[in-house]
Amino acid sequence: MLKVKVYADRMSQPSRAVLIFCKVNGIEFDEIKVEISKRQQLSPEFADINPFKKLPAIVDGRFKLFESHAILIYLASAFPGIPDHWYPADLSRRARVHSVLDWHHLNLRHGAAPFVLHTVLAPVLGLPLNPQAAAEAEKILISSLSKLENIWLKGNGRYLLGGLRPSIADLSLVCEIMQLELLDEKDQERILGPHKKVQQWIESTRDATRPHFDEVHKVLYKVKEIIRAKKSNQGDGVMQSRTKTPLASKM
Amino acid sequence: MGKLKVYADRMSQPSRAVIIFCRISGIDFEEIKVDISKGQHLSPDFTEVNPLQKVPAIVHGSLKLSESHAILVYLASAFTGIADHWYPTELSRRSKINSVMDWHHSNLRNGAVNYAINTTLAPALGRQLNPKAASEAEKVLLSSLKTLEDIWLDGDGGFLCNGIQPSLADLSMVCELMQLEVLDERDRNRILSPYKKVLQWIENTRTATNPHFEEVHNILYKAKKKFEQQRARTAETGTSPSNKTGGYSKI
Ligand SMILES: N[C@@H](CCC(=O)N[C@@H](CS)C(=O)NCC(=O)O)C(=O)O
Ligand SMILES: N[C@@H](CCC(=O)N[C@@H](CS)C(=O)NCC(=O)O)C(=O)O
Repeated sequence: MLKVKVYADRMSQPSRAVLIFCKVNGIEFDEIKVEISKRQQLSPEFADINPFKKLPAIVDGRFKLFESHAILIYLASAFPGIPDHWYPADLSRRARVHSVLDWHHLNLRHGAAPFVLHTVLAPVLGLPLNPQAAAEAEKILISSLSKLENIWLKGNGRYLLGGLRPSIADLSLVCEIMQLELLDEKDQERILGPHKKVQQWIESTRDATRPHFDEVHKVLYKVKEIIRAKKSNQGDGVMQSRTKTPLASKM
Repeated sequence: MGKLKVYADRMSQPSRAVIIFCRISGIDFEEIKVDISKGQHLSPDFTEVNPLQKVPAIVHGSLKLSESHAILVYLASAFTGIADHWYPTELSRRSKINSVMDWHHSNLRNGAVNYAINTTLAPALGRQLNPKAASEAEKVLLSSLKTLEDIWLDGDGGFLCNGIQPSLADLSMVCELMQLEVLDERDRNRILSPYKKVLQWIENTRTATNPHFEEVHNILYKAKKKFEQQRARTAETGTSPSNKTGGYSKI
């Protein structure tokens, strides 16, 4: 069979999770870049791959799939030799992985993605900042982090659900949190600072997936530099006139 | 292993989906009522079962599990004799079902639940109606319905992903849409009537799961009557229903 094709934008958290999973597990794949900042996800060619026009998406032979969690489960099941800890065969353990993954959507993701968008990313994408939306997202984000700290990371394991090795849920959720790197230092400290277990867990997941984790996250640090530069320009009183065309979409 | 315990409030869509699934699959279980409008989901006893304080949740032997999709997937895998169409063994079919269930969270659920709460249910839950949140939820709901109609229900199958029999995703999402029953009839028609396939799909799922479907939804039909009477009174006297119960959270 042909190599699996992964359509991804490394600025997108769920895309990063899928890329890292493939690399860590030696899955042979072609990465096809779809740049959201250039609205490439809205092209007719990509709509053919994923009518939802979102990233990531995969094509394996004739089979097309989107939604990162579904993709991770598919990859963990379809490719031989993937270590069991990523998606445990034991039904109870597997069920608990599903439970965190389901929880993620309307909690951690629902907080982190709009918070970053409305505090730092919007200007880069040519969108106006929306402080009210940021404030609402912050509430969800902080409550999600506190549930991670006190409930999902309870126990002695380094990973979610007391795990000793990472699962696809660890990878998905840590990639989500990584976008907080884009915030300015004060915000980052205020939001992540009180959550010691969460911080430790991010490090553990990074360690377990090195060097791919850092490699795939590189783009995030680049964008961080761009945001910084923009900020200090503004601080010098230099007006930003080079705003790009407005974008309808979000990361 | 002890008998399966299902903690549920039948006013909650994901609770209904789990109860209907257990019944239709002939799973022997005990239903334990957790009345959200009385704040029972916040009790120490229930917090033991699910520290996230949400329904549904199950206890099966030593496994405690929350999140309705994770529960449905677990039940379909852990019990014998469950018809394959609910959660197909074949990997590509199963992956599509996973994909639509992932999609559900941030789209149909996010739209439907927040619309129902902010137009109708809030006072019964001790909260204020919020027209601005309602109008945002409406956008998400309408776009989700359109996506269901044009993409997920594409084909002649009658069920999601062109299925000819219902899957866990059909059950979950139809239960979600059923909460629109509590809306004002005109409003409900305005929202649903343009989506002919969606309407047909609701009927298909109802038929495939009756009599359990109707029986488990009875409570919703009763609530619907109550809201209708309230609306009639409000129209007569010009006052809105008073807000008796304390401030509990959301359905
Ligand atoms: N729940 C989906 C989320 C997909 C998603 O929202 N992708 C974003 C990037 S992170 C996207 O493609 N946005 C483009 C747009 O909204 O136009 C998943 O986990 O795959
Ligand atoms: N994604 C969860 C949603 C669970 C949920 O939101 N449950 C609501 C009832 S529908 C609840 O328990 N609300 C109580 C609260 O928010 O305090 C699932 O599918 O089980």
